[in-house]
Amino acid sequence: MADADDRLKALFAEDEPPARDAVFSAAVMAEVVRRRFIVDMALLATVATASGFLLWALWPSIAPAVATLSQALAPVGACLTLAAAAVLLLDRGVIPLGGRNHG
Amino acid sequence: MSPADIDEELVEAAKAGSTGAFARLVDRHQQALRAFLRRTCGDWAQADDLAQEAFLEAWSKIGRLQSGASVRAWLCGIGYNKHLTALRSRGRDRAREAAYEAEKPPSSGAMTDERLTLEAALSELPADQRACVALCLAADFSHAEAAEALGLPLGTVKSHVTRGRTRLLEVLGGSDGGR
Repeated sequence: MADADDRLKALFAEDEPPARDAVFSAAVMAEVVRRRFIVDMALLATVATASGFLLWALWPSIAPAVATLSQALAPVGACLTLAAAAVLLLDRGVIPLGGRNHG
Repeated sequence: MSPADIDEELVEAAKAGSTGAFARLVDRHQQALRAFLRRTCGDWAQADDLAQEAFLEAWSKIGRLQSGASVRAWLCGIGYNKHLTALRSRGRDRAREAAYEAEKPPSSGAMTDERLTLEAALSELPADQRACVALCLAADFSHAEAAEALGLPLGTVKSHVTRGRTRLLEVLGGSDGGR
């Protein structure tokens, strides 16, 4: 009984693929990544289109508020932008801090 | 860490969106899935195409894989369904499927006479029986694991394996050994 099973198993083993097959695995993963990219793009396109339509539909009602807010918040926005730029430049060492020990 | 634990960890990472973890799952299970499909459909090129499709479906459905489930059995189940769908889409009845199998060009790789005889005998088995034989006799699946993979009752799997084994040994000129 065991001999018969071993014989069958040995015959079946002749069509065994390799334990590691980089070409097959790469082909599968390339297709996975391609499909994921398509899904992501479709999602982004859907969100962008929906947002565009929403903005278009609401624009008549929000336009006055945006005009008022933009005038009022312009100085605050400029200050925040300058502050953010300064933090970024200091953090990356583009502008050296006086007396700071960089080790 | 056992192979099942490694699979579990990789599945969790893949569920979280890690393509690296899924790539490792592909590496770990491609051999078992492709071997199963080669034995089930007999055509190596078609088997590899089905295996690739099965992995792609697995990627999209990995969120549904239950914790602790056998990844190998799950993948073989997906692959088997792909195989059945391919058979149905050809719109052939069993006799015509058998004719197709007989006309099919030989798979890649040199086959011994005994291997060719086995291939011919396998092609005559019904699809379910052939799948049970491929899992339990060739790939060391337990009957329960094969039943889970193929979505068949445990008793049906046992009887398919016994009948398939008897038929193959009969054709190969061996003794059944009373099993």
